[in-house]
Amino acid sequence: MSRDLSKVRNIGISAHIDSGKTTLTERILFYTNRIHAIHEVRGKDGVGAKMDSMELEKERGITIQSAATYCTWKDIDINIIDTPGHVDFTVEVERALRVLDGAVLVLCSVGGVQSQSITVNRQMTRYNVPRIAFVNKCDRTGANPMKVTQQLRDKLDLNAHMLQMPIGLENDLVGMVDLVEMKAVYYEGDNGEKIRITDIPADMVDEAEEKRAALLEEVSMFSDDLMEALLEEGEIDTQLIYDAIRKGTLALEFTPVFMGSAYKNKGVQSLLDAVEKYLPCPTDVKNTALDLKNNEEEFQVTNNPADPLIMLAFKLEDGRYGQLTYIRTYQGELNKGDTVFNSRTGKKVKIGRLCRMHSDEMEEIEYCGSGDIVALFGVDCASGDTFTDDRISCSMDSMHIPEPVISLAVIPVDNKAQINMSKALNRFTKEDPTFKTFVDHETGETIISGMGELHLEVYIERMKREYKAEVTVGAPQVAYRETITQRADFDYTHKKQTGGSGQFGRVAGYLEPLEEGEYEFVDNIVGGAIPREFISSCDKGFQKSVEKGSLCGSAITGVRVVINDGAFHAVDSSDVAFQLASIGGFKQGYMKAGPVIMEPIMKVAVEGPSEFQGAVMGSLNQRRGMIIGTMEEGTYTVVEAEVPLSEMFGYSTVLRSLTQGKAEFTMEFATFKPVPKGVGEELIKKYQQEKDKSN
Amino acid sequence: MGNEALSAKNPLRALGLESDGTDERRSMGLVMARAGLGKTAILVQFALDCMLLGNKVLHVSIGESVDKTRSWYDDLLSCLTEGEKLKDIPAIMKNRMIMTFKESSFSNAMFEERLNDLVAQDIYVPDCLIIDGYDFEENDYAALAEFKKFMKSKGLKMVWFSAVSHREDTRKSAEGVPAPCHEVDDLFENVLLIKPTEDSITLDIIKCDSCGISPGTQLKLDPSTMLIQKV
Ligand SMILES: Nc1nc2c(ncn2[C@@H]2O[C@H](COP(=O)(O)OP(=O)(O)O)[C@@H](O)[C@H]2O)c(=O)[nH]1
Ligand SMILES: [Mg+2]
Repeated sequence: MSRDLSKVRNIGISAHIDSGKTTLTERILFYTNRIHAIHEVRGKDGVGAKMDSMELEKERGITIQSAATYCTWKDIDINIIDTPGHVDFTVEVERALRVLDGAVLVLCSVGGVQSQSITVNRQMTRYNVPRIAFVNKCDRTGANPMKVTQQLRDKLDLNAHMLQMPIGLENDLVGMVDLVEMKAVYYEGDNGEKIRITDIPADMVDEAEEKRAALLEEVSMFSDDLMEALLEEGEIDTQLIYDAIRKGTLALEFTPVFMGSAYKNKGVQSLLDAVEKYLPCPTDVKNTALDLKNNEEEFQVTNNPADPLIMLAFKLEDGRYGQLTYIRTYQGELNKGDTVFNSRTGKKVKIGRLCRMHSDEMEEIEYCGSGDIVALFGVDCASGDTFTDDRISCSMDSMHIPEPVISLAVIPVDNKAQINMSKALNRFTKEDPTFKTFVDHETGETIISGMGELHLEVYIERMKREYKAEVTVGAPQVAYRETITQRADFDYTHKKQTGGSGQFGRVAGYLEPLEEGEYEFVDNIVGGAIPREFISSCDKGFQKSVEKGSLCGSAITGVRVVINDGAFHAVDSSDVAFQLASIGGFKQGYMKAGPVIMEPIMKVAVEGPSEFQGAVMGSLNQRRGMIIGTMEEGTYTVVEAEVPLSEMFGYSTVLRSLTQGKAEFTMEFATFKPVPKGVGEELIKKYQQEKDKSN
Repeated sequence: MGNEALSAKNPLRALGLESDGTDERRSMGLVMARAGLGKTAILVQFALDCMLLGNKVLHVSIGESVDKTRSWYDDLLSCLTEGEKLKDIPAIMKNRMIMTFKESSFSNAMFEERLNDLVAQDIYVPDCLIIDGYDFEENDYAALAEFKKFMKSKGLKMVWFSAVSHREDTRKSAEGVPAPCHEVDDLFENVLLIKPTEDSITLDIIKCDSCGISPGTQLKLDPSTMLIQKV
C-alpha cells in the first residue's frame, strides 16, 4: 500500500503571540471538517479551541505543546505541527522545525512583524523551511497588509509579495481579489464556509491588473516558460504562474503573502489552497541521516516506502490517552505489529498501536507511510530518538541541543509531593532534552535547569497541576560553567596506611582544553603502569571531578583528561584508591590549567519606537551587553545585542518603565563566554563563603 | 592565526592606508561602482582592516538588513583567513556595530542624533565609520560638507562611503570622479572606482591623498571573493 506523497503536507504555523495562531488553527480544523462548532479562543463557552489542549496553555494563552494534528483538505493530507511561539522553548521550536516541511507565518495586520516573528523566521531560515505568510486580523482597525508585506521584506529579508488584495478592510472586509486567477473571492455564510467567486469589483480592476503585472514580472524569475509567455503578451496559463511561485517558494527565494481574518472567517480556505499549491511535500525537501555503520557518514533519506524504515520520535506526550510518542517517518513504512529498533539504546520495540491525532480525538490506523506523522502507543524512548527496522542502522542527524542556562531548587512540601515530583521530573526530562534535573549532593536539594525563566515556570506549574506535586521553589540561578584554557600536567599519589590494609595509587598525565564536547578520557598507559582493571576507576574519579569545579562550584566542561603513567601496589591498590588518586590528580592539574568561569550569553532583541532607542541601548550597555546592531524602520527600531543572562533578570520591568510599556524584547541562548575578571572574583568569593558557612 | 599576522596579510596593505590611528590624518573616502559590482565587499575589507588593528567600526547600512551585512563580514573574513579559524573572532567582533536604516528613514540629522546618543552614553565610540547606501542624488554639497564637519567633531579617523554610478550618466569631475559625486569630489581625500573589464574586475584609484599610491593605479580584485589582490 503506497501513497502519493505529493498529496502530503507537514506544516507548522508560527506567530508572534496573540497574532491569532490558535484561532487560525482552529478555523483550519473547522473547514477541514474536524471540528463541528467553532469555539472562540478563551471564549465564553469555556470550551476553547482544540489545539491548546493543555489547561495551562489555556490559562496563559500560549501554546506550549507541539502536538501534531491531522486533517484533510480536498485530497490533501495535512499534518499541522503546532510550533511553540515563545523562544524560551527553543528546543521545542527546533524539534518542530526539524519534522515539518513548510510553514505558515501568521502576522497581525496591525502589529506586523514583531520580535518573535524575527526570531522564528531566523530559525526557519536556519532549517531551510519554505514559508508562506498570512496577514491575519485584517478586520481590525488600522489593518494594513501592504505595510506588513513591506515589513516582511525589510525586517525579515523575505522576498514577500501579496498574491491577494483585500476587498474592503477593517470592518468592511468581505473578501479578497485573487491576483493569479483575477477573480474576487467572497467568504459568506455564518462561518464563512460559502465561497462565492465573481468578477473583480470594477473599481479595483485597474489596481489589480497593475499588481498582477508586477507580481508576474517578479515570479517570472523562477520560470523561463512564464518569462516567455510574458514576452509574447498573450493570455497566460495560470498553471505557469502557480508553478513559478511554487518553485520560488520552495527555493526560499519567494514568500507569497495571503491575508484575511481568522476570527471573521475570511480567507482561511484560500490559505489552505495555498498550503497545497506552494508548500513542499515530503519529497520536495532534503533530509539527511547519519549512517551508524559507516562512521556517521551523512546520507539522504529516500522517502521510498520500499526502503528500510527510518523514523524520528520528536515528541512525547502524557495525556488522556496515556503515553504517546509522535514520530515522523523518512523512508520505509510502519505497520501495526512491526518490530523496530531504537538506534540510541539498541532496544527492540514492538509497535502495538498507531494512531492519528485529530487534536483531541484519535483514530487508530493500521499503517503509516513514508513522510507521514503519527502517534504510537507504549513506546518507551526519549524525544529525539531514531527508530529503524533491522535492515539499517542510522540516526537522524543529531539535533543541536543547547546547554541549560538557568536553574533553581524545587522543594517538595511533603512526602507525597516528593513522590509525585520525581514522577513528573522523570517524565519532563524525557520529553524535553533541554530540561535537566539533578540532586545537589551538598545541599540535598533537587535542582531543575532549563532555557529560561518561563521555561522552568511552565514545568513547575505542570508539576502542580498534572502531577499534584506541591513544591516551593528557590530563586533562579544562572547556570555557570567552568573550563580550562591551557594544558597542565598532574602527577598524584594517593597513599594511606591505616592499621592493616592500606590504600595506594599513583596517577599521572595531563588536562587539556577540548574544543567540542564536555569531557573526554584518554588512556595512554603503556606497560601496565596502572593495571587494566583500575583504568575505569580513574575515569570514574575524573568524572566525579568535573561535576563540580573548584572556582564557583559549577560543572566543568570542555576538558580532555589524558593519563600516561602511574604506579600500583599489589595489595594496597583498589578501585577506591585509584578514584581518589584521580580526583587528587585532577585538582592538582586543574588550578594550573588556567581555569575560568563561563556564563551564558543571550541574544536579545528589543523592539520599540525609535525615540527610545538611546534609552534601550543604554540599558543593555549597563547590563554588560554588546550591541550587535540596530535596525531602524520608520518609527520603529529593533536593537540586537548579546547580554549575559545574569544581567537580564527583571529586565522586562526595567524596559517597561523606560519605554512607557511601548517596547518588548525576546531572548534566545547564544553561547557561553568567560566572565569578566571582576564578576569572576565575585563568584569565587561567594562560593568560598558558602562553602565556609556549610563547613 | 594571530591578528597581527592576518592584518599583515591583508591585501589592503597594498593600498598603504594607515588606519591604525597613529597619524593625525582624518580622511573621508568613497568607493564607487555601478549597481551590483560589490561596493559593500570593498567597504567591509576596509572595516575588517580597522577592526583587526583594534579600532572600533560603525557600519551603517542603508537599505540592507543586519543579518545580511553581518554575513558580508563572515564571508570576507573566512576568505581572508582561507578558512583557518581565528582564535579571537569574538574579540574582533566586539569592534563592530551595525546600524541599518530603511532607505526612507535615513537622514543626516537622524544619523547625527543616533551617533551622538552612542557617544554621549559611552555605549559605542567608533573610530571608523562605513556608510553603505548613502543617497548622493538627494544630498547637496552643503549638506555633505556639514556632515563631514560633524563626523570630524566626533573624532572619527576614517569614513568610507559607497556610491552608485550609472552607465548612462556620463558627467565627471575634473579629477575624473563620476556622477553623482562629481560635484562633491573635493570633500573626499580618497576615491576608488570598481570597474568590470573583459575578464576581471579592477579597483581604480582616482585619487588617494592619504595613501601611498598615485592616482591612476589599477588594483586587481579577485572576481570570486572580491578581495583586493596584492600588487
Ligand atoms: N479582530 C480579530 N481578532 C482576532 C483574529 N484572530 C484572532 N483574534 C483574537 O486575538 C486574540 C489572540 O488570538 P489567538 O488565536 O489566541 O492568538 P495566538 O496567541 O497567536 O494563538 C484572541 O482574542 C482572538 O479572538 C482576527 O482575525 N481578527
Ligand atoms: Mg495560542
